[in-house]
Amino acid sequence: MAEVVLDVRSITKTFGGLKAVNDLSFVVREGEIVSLIGPNGSGKTTTFNLITGLYEPDSGDVLLKDESIAGLKPGQIYERGISRTFQMLRLFSNMSILDNVLVGMHGRTRANVIDCMLHTPRMRREEAESVARAKEILGLFPGRFPASRHSQPALSLSYANRRRLEIARALAGEPALLLLDEPVAGMNPAESLEVMRQIRDLRDMGYTILMIEHDMNVIMGASDRVIAMDHGEKIAEGAPQEVANDPAVVEAYLGKRGADTAS
Amino acid sequence: MAGTFRRVADVFGRIPRWVYIVAALVLAIVFPMLEQAGLMQTLWLRLGTRTLVYVLLAVGLNLVLGETGLLHLGYVAFFAVGAYSTAILSSPRLGIHWNFWVIIVIATVLAMLFGFVIGMPTLRLRGDYLAIVTLAFGEITRMTFNNWESVTNGPGGIPGIFPPNLFGWVVDKPAEFFYLLLASVVLVVWLLNNLKKSRVGRAWNALREDEIASHHSGVRPTQVKMLAVVLSSGIAGLAGAIFAYYQQFINPTYFLFMQSTIVVCMVVLGGMGSIPGAIVGAVVLDATPEIIRQAFTQWLPDALGSDFLPGVQTALQTDFDRYRMLIFGLVIVLMVIFRPEGLLPDQLWRREVHDEDPRDQEHTRQHLFDFEEGEKDLEV
Repeated sequence: MAEVVLDVRSITKTFGGLKAVNDLSFVVREGEIVSLIGPNGSGKTTTFNLITGLYEPDSGDVLLKDESIAGLKPGQIYERGISRTFQMLRLFSNMSILDNVLVGMHGRTRANVIDCMLHTPRMRREEAESVARAKEILGLFPGRFPASRHSQPALSLSYANRRRLEIARALAGEPALLLLDEPVAGMNPAESLEVMRQIRDLRDMGYTILMIEHDMNVIMGASDRVIAMDHGEKIAEGAPQEVANDPAVVEAYLGKRGADTAS
Repeated sequence: MAGTFRRVADVFGRIPRWVYIVAALVLAIVFPMLEQAGLMQTLWLRLGTRTLVYVLLAVGLNLVLGETGLLHLGYVAFFAVGAYSTAILSSPRLGIHWNFWVIIVIATVLAMLFGFVIGMPTLRLRGDYLAIVTLAFGEITRMTFNNWESVTNGPGGIPGIFPPNLFGWVVDKPAEFFYLLLASVVLVVWLLNNLKKSRVGRAWNALREDEIASHHSGVRPTQVKMLAVVLSSGIAGLAGAIFAYYQQFINPTYFLFMQSTIVVCMVVLGGMGSIPGAIVGAVVLDATPEIIRQAFTQWLPDALGSDFLPGVQTALQTDFDRYRMLIFGLVIVLMVIFRPEGLLPDQLWRREVHDEDPRDQEHTRQHLFDFEEGEKDLEV
């Protein structure tokens, strides 16, 4: 079996009296796409925030390639290899498309202040490499970011392309694990389909992906494994079809009577 | 009217950037020569020298306020640290007379250190809280200099600062100080412009745009903010050192809170995050009140007879500082109404202030194109 990239060990997070995430454990293995599903408020985004360091778990541990990352700051976790996108887009709207991706490389570049002040040959070389790599990443979305648009501001992009740019920025960190928070939210069916294919392409290129998604077509079409959550707890895990038919999952979405009618 | 303004601006926008830079440099180099040739009163040269000090300050504060988006209201404190280091280390006050280069380095580094120390507790705060706390630190600094009589001579100030000696060239005329400052401005602007076009500059902008997203992209907010604060403090320290040499006398009243406000106004007027903007903002805000004063006390009375508006004339002669603030306020209010992005805005800020700038038509077209693209996809 493939190597475990992310190992979440019974993490818990409470906000006041609310257990947002309760004793949650799961693993993500190298080269797979795992989807996290569940009704609104079931703790999916909180789980993401716990993994990426925005919140610190009250108890439990998060391991990235056998190293504990719980309690580290988002910037440090990013440098260790976890990149993410956001449910509500968080691009640097007024910066250029290319600069957005280049910011994603900040943690990977090493030029210091003096280098940057003097534009030393070392800094120029690194900058040229970064720009080349950034263009390469933008090229992963064929036709979406032509070179003529690289210097335009991110806010000039259509909604769907902004979502793609966020993925591109996350890829700039060369992540061992990519977290996508509702990558197709607000997209039309054709756009969702394209993004779904691109997510699969990314997996085929060797990226490991954990995503939150509501779109059943995308979940069924892209994920290798699905984890269902409700009230902060894992209620089911397995192949997409299995989880979709799991009575506990149907109940979580539709309620008790709905589950009875369905069976 | 706005349309005409845009068309004119577009014509000037087409002239390459280096033309402006060369023109500004030539103008600055010729400026003191006018005085030496007797074509201009020394008053204007003195004003020009003071303006260059403000240019340094505005360019430095722009790093923090414009690029990184932190409202720092105690900037004058670092200016004071630079000025007092110089005054103490090069005056009869304690009988110390160190070399110019050593003092410049000490003044800059001390100001940076001071920036670091103040930054440690304050950079955890955001927005208005940061503004208030930095304001307070600015005042604490001034009061310290005001009360530390054994070293700073308190409100009496430190007189008789020795003129700087640069490898045998003794700088003591206004024109010489003008060139010394000009050289500093060129050096600082060059370094900062390079920084702006590097990973550091991008990190500052990203932080200003969205702190959470930048943190999740590997930018460490505290580190990056601290870097901006420390560098800008250093620039203020350098400006303070040269200012002290130039004035030959400093006391705490040079470092009032008002000075911090003036520099903030210069950055805002010029266009936040724009280096040329900060320079233009400093020149306009420092020169305009003086020109108005000269107009009402000299030029207009000369032209129209001395009984021209007698009240205004005496008021401006005796109470100018108060009216200076009035003019400042007026300029800022007019600008916020008619040109909120500043005189020479950075591309980034222009977009942030006007969400729908007609000049961004190209982007809008591109937007439509994207939309159509999506529609086409649907048909597939």
